[in-house]
Amino acid sequence: MNIDQIKERLKKMLVDKLRLKRTLESIKDNEPLFREGLGLDSIDSLEIVVLIEREFDLSISADELKDTAKIFKDVQSLADFVALLLTKK
Amino acid sequence: MQLKDKVAIVTGASKGIGKAIALLLASQGAKIVVNFATEKMLAEEVVKKIGHNQALAFAAHVEKPDEVASMIRETLKHWGRIDILINNAGIINDKFLMVMTDDEWQKVIDVNLTGVFNCCRAVAKQMVAQKSGKIVNISSTAAVRGLLGQANYAASKAGLEGLTKAFAKEMSHYNIYINSIAPGFIESDRVAELREDIKRDYLRLIPMERFGLPEEVAQVALFLVTEAASYIQGQTIMVDGGITV
Repeated sequence: MNIDQIKERLKKMLVDKLRLKRTLESIKDNEPLFREGLGLDSIDSLEIVVLIEREFDLSISADELKDTAKIFKDVQSLADFVALLLTKK
Repeated sequence: MQLKDKVAIVTGASKGIGKAIALLLASQGAKIVVNFATEKMLAEEVVKKIGHNQALAFAAHVEKPDEVASMIRETLKHWGRIDILINNAGIINDKFLMVMTDDEWQKVIDVNLTGVFNCCRAVAKQMVAQKSGKIVNISSTAAVRGLLGQANYAASKAGLEGLTKAFAKEMSHYNIYINSIAPGFIESDRVAELREDIKRDYLRLIPMERFGLPEEVAQVALFLVTEAASYIQGQTIMVDGGITV
């Protein structure tokens, strides 16, 4: 799976599961996930972790989530994080 | 000079609430050990402000019993007694519990709770021998409010309050007082760094519609270490602008 495919799956996951009132096409890769960006709240990051685990069949440890601010910055950073975890799988 | 000839150890005294307490106790005549973990320059500034004949800076990580023991030895070597211990040193490392690492949990518990245990245990023998002593533990409203992302911090402060009550019962017989203060949102480096919208959110929660000042916490600490508080034991005093009301 390449990075673009990961980003598409993440955007679909966010829209479908977190009920974002946005179209997939309107979400920019570098748009902040929280507050003024996609309007998510930091507490939503917990659900995103669970959703990623299920979507990509991953098991994410707390140690892998140390730098949450960096990981949950935008779709691009989230995709980079998922790509990294997939290489370790 | 309510504290003339008294000797006080204030942990985490290089800035914020600890610094305000150190300065206020010193203004009442107490000799002060300005404890710090890493910020030596800031601690030295506090000592300079108080005066080198009345204060000394001492580096000790409160979570390390050997370093605490050294601090106690040094205090006794300098001034021969310990009348007051202010357990103020503390850290935060906020994270949602579900994604909190073992280290992020443990480090906060180690400094905020085990550190208080270490310091209390280390001064207890001296205070029992003196048949007097005042210990003030700096808790937080997080102990009862359990703020979002602060499972480690809230647990450490709730633990500190339990320790305060148990230790107060053990030490009452020896005329040793142990109480705690639970500050709410206090003006600090951390509050200064908050985004304006988050500051506004916090202020909406506070009936007094403002953050507290370190000096306002220090006044309560001073009260607790003087004879004015001679019948207060094992309590937690909230200094929070009404946020827990």
